[in-house]
Amino acid sequence: MKQHPLCTDCESEVDITSLPIPAGLKQEWSTMETRRRFLGRSGKVLGWAALASLLGESALRSHGADTKNPALATRNNLGLPHFAPKAKRAIYLFMSGGPPQMDLLDYKPGLAAQFNKDIPDSVRGSQQLTGMTAGQSRFPIAPSHWAFKQHGQTGTWVSELLPYTARMIDDLTIVKTVNTDAINHEPAIMLINTGNMNPGKPCLGSWLAYGLGSMNDNLPTFIVLQTKTNPKENNQPVSSRLWSSGFLSSEYAGVGLRSGGDPVLYLADPDGVDRDTRRKMLDAVEQINRQTQSDVGDPETNARIAQYEMAFRMQASVPELTDLSKEPQSTWDLYGSDAKIPGTFSYNCLLARRMAERGVRFTQVYKRGWDVHGDVVGVLPVLCQETDRACYALVTDLKRRGLLDDTLVVWAGEFGRTVYSQGGLSADNYGRDHHPRCFTTWMVGGGLRPGITYGETDDYSYNIVKDPVHVRNFNATILACLGIDHNKLTYEFQGLDQRLTGPAPAYVVQGLLA
Amino acid sequence: MQRTRIPTSAALRVAATAFALVLLPFVFRLNGHAHADWLQFFGRFHPALLHIPIGLIVLLPILEYAGVRRPALRESAGFVLRLAVAFALPTLALGYMLAYGSGDTGSTVTRHLWGAITLCIALMLCALIRSAWAAGTQPRAYPAMLTFSLLALLFTGHQGGSLSHGSDYLTRYMPTGVRSMFSFGSPGIGADPASFYAQRIHPVLDSKCVACHGSSTEKGGLRLDSYPNLMHGGKDGVVVIAGKPEASPLLSRVTLPTSDKHFMPAEGRTPLTPDEIKMIRAWITAGASSTAATIPGFAAAAQSSEPPPQPVGDYSALMPEIQRMQQQQGAKLVPVSAKPSDGLILRTVDIASTFNDAQLAQFQKFAPYIVEAELSRTTVTDAGFDTLRTFAHLRSLHLDGTAITGSGLAKLAPLKQLTYLNLSNTHLTAQAAATLKSMPQLRRVYLFNTPAEVGTASAKSTP
Repeated sequence: MKQHPLCTDCESEVDITSLPIPAGLKQEWSTMETRRRFLGRSGKVLGWAALASLLGESALRSHGADTKNPALATRNNLGLPHFAPKAKRAIYLFMSGGPPQMDLLDYKPGLAAQFNKDIPDSVRGSQQLTGMTAGQSRFPIAPSHWAFKQHGQTGTWVSELLPYTARMIDDLTIVKTVNTDAINHEPAIMLINTGNMNPGKPCLGSWLAYGLGSMNDNLPTFIVLQTKTNPKENNQPVSSRLWSSGFLSSEYAGVGLRSGGDPVLYLADPDGVDRDTRRKMLDAVEQINRQTQSDVGDPETNARIAQYEMAFRMQASVPELTDLSKEPQSTWDLYGSDAKIPGTFSYNCLLARRMAERGVRFTQVYKRGWDVHGDVVGVLPVLCQETDRACYALVTDLKRRGLLDDTLVVWAGEFGRTVYSQGGLSADNYGRDHHPRCFTTWMVGGGLRPGITYGETDDYSYNIVKDPVHVRNFNATILACLGIDHNKLTYEFQGLDQRLTGPAPAYVVQGLLA
Repeated sequence: MQRTRIPTSAALRVAATAFALVLLPFVFRLNGHAHADWLQFFGRFHPALLHIPIGLIVLLPILEYAGVRRPALRESAGFVLRLAVAFALPTLALGYMLAYGSGDTGSTVTRHLWGAITLCIALMLCALIRSAWAAGTQPRAYPAMLTFSLLALLFTGHQGGSLSHGSDYLTRYMPTGVRSMFSFGSPGIGADPASFYAQRIHPVLDSKCVACHGSSTEKGGLRLDSYPNLMHGGKDGVVVIAGKPEASPLLSRVTLPTSDKHFMPAEGRTPLTPDEIKMIRAWITAGASSTAATIPGFAAAAQSSEPPPQPVGDYSALMPEIQRMQQQQGAKLVPVSAKPSDGLILRTVDIASTFNDAQLAQFQKFAPYIVEAELSRTTVTDAGFDTLRTFAHLRSLHLDGTAITGSGLAKLAPLKQLTYLNLSNTHLTAQAAATLKSMPQLRRVYLFNTPAEVGTASAKSTP
């Protein structure tokens, strides 16, 4: 082991075989150790040295040798954005669980007359249902419990659950015909985030971070905000697999800010360590990492160096970001007092606006609890009360500050919900199961055509009758707003030119664009 | 040495053929009407056949030149020349059948046709006088005629390429520097640039119709590339009857069932969208004016449209300097897109708290390339307007969160491209805000949370 210059009492090399661990594991380790030794330390073997220098150089080239911004060199080679973008940044309000479209924005007036009638077989077809309702003997139609009214110049029908959304309805681009391939949460949420049902692919935010890079070197390019869960709601798990960078360098992964307490743990220096000491420590670590990088040529080492540097800069930038004390009263009038409580959806929306101001490229706010299998009448008003005003406040705030022109805001879940009731349908309550064939999303901001409703569903909000938008086309359209041709933003991995929209052909939905 | 005479019979044959060729366009006039389908069927082999004579003609001078060293090559040149003539004539015939059959007209078609006729005659003359040249009695005529043929080939080929790929095929990706050497001005559209026609109708016609009804190809004698041409109509009469959309062929032809043989755009080209049709109908209903800026039902949308961005010059040569600048002071010049003509964004966000007027002034040397200046939350003051006024291509200016009061804001008036101005959270005075009224180019102005906002009713004003 190389002795570090600052280290006076270096430990002697640990012998794995002397540790108290199972023999089989030891054996496996020792074979790995042999290979690692060979690769890592036999730099004098001519062939390896040549290979290492070649690999190392190409890794360095593709990953950028610029120490301050390792992603910079990559991006210059990518030639992005492919065309002049309308939006520079995006905020994605992710409604995890699957909001029931026919209770919110997909108005189906004909359903009231069909209360408790069975959904026609011709509508449902031979669709495979989830295990939760496949065993039901009946599929009784559950009309929405709430009244709808027309709002705005466009006369768009909006549920009474969304009084605030109704106020900005003329600005929104509503898509009623988004559809997905998966009927369960995990594959569906992976599919809409990464373009693939299986984990391991980079998500939208990582592709953006990789392709477009940072605007503000003091903050992460891609930030994830989670909303504190409400125990009354049916919360599906959401975790870092959804903001993973997959096979892209891990510096493009989303950085999660915590929903309570310190937004980033251990960000503040411990007592007795001042910023200069921290700087010295990081410099020493970087030196070691550079040595490792030159020995092994693993590009992930560069990512690690970049992340240490980012954390150091975040020590100054994150407290400023999350300090809401200077927000004017007009902010609280708009967002409501909920926004003062860290971890609420309102608070996260306000943070998202502050991040947009500070040049965070992509902010994803997760709100869980939309998985309303039962007690829709009891739970849905709570969900809407938590989110409706905050969404309106965010869009309005961006608009009045002149940020909406170059910011894209997306509101979407992973799928929709069934028109038929899951479990018992009573006069005043019902449940709804997962529904991948159509669901409603809205978008607003840079590059979009405001005040339109795109696509039509049938009378049961079950099948699409006009202008379907598959999630991969939805994602291709988001990329287009940000100046990216989804066919050109690729990364070679496992022998494929991987892309967010996957190998199937995808297209930009021109009807949504201004 | 025996004097080589040109055989009279050969000369007569060439003269007769040349006469027939010259007469062809006058006998079968290209009048914009389509003719028999079989003509088009054969005509469509024109693009396949034409490469053969081109190859042969290009081969000729090579053979002649190489023949200086290797006489066998020069002997074969005579054969190649006759072969070229043998292919050129049927190619011309097929091309004529294509144009005549499909009813193509237009200046490019005409140029292509006459180029081809000239080329064929020149080739035949070459064949006629070559023997005299080979024998050494006429040393000049044949090389001159061959050179002329090659020039005619170049011209004709280019016109043909423009027909099949569009007239901007060569120049579209030409580097900006080269392009500016030739000036490719686009012809006027003959209407007020702020009118509904210019903003909404012309772009539709331009993208969906002008490929066949434009200056290069005038199917049916109809051109839709400008307002006067549109209103003039084609061989079958006017296409727009103001106030009567249903009686206007322009509208009826695009609303037929797609299977109808008169449906436009023809031959599987992208049909008009329902929105575009609605727009054209509303425009005709309202009187098909070339000046009216708003049409009932479309007023709001028309207002938000912005003038197309003007391309800036190529800054690629300045890249090393730009990068040096970034390392020295931290503020970045970021390309808007991979296309240099889209310009640069001045980005200061990560050093905003220290970025000042002096630093801003250093960017003056990149002024022509900067289309967007992100100065939000910087320490730039009113003095910065002196620098900003030099950013001639500036389209968006973010000054929100700065300490500016707006005195000197009027210096931005000459920036004709400036459409977005964000002054939120500044000390902008009502007095300064009033000067914004003298900048009609502004489309989106934000005055949120400023002293001036109290004076004006809304945070967002559209002068």
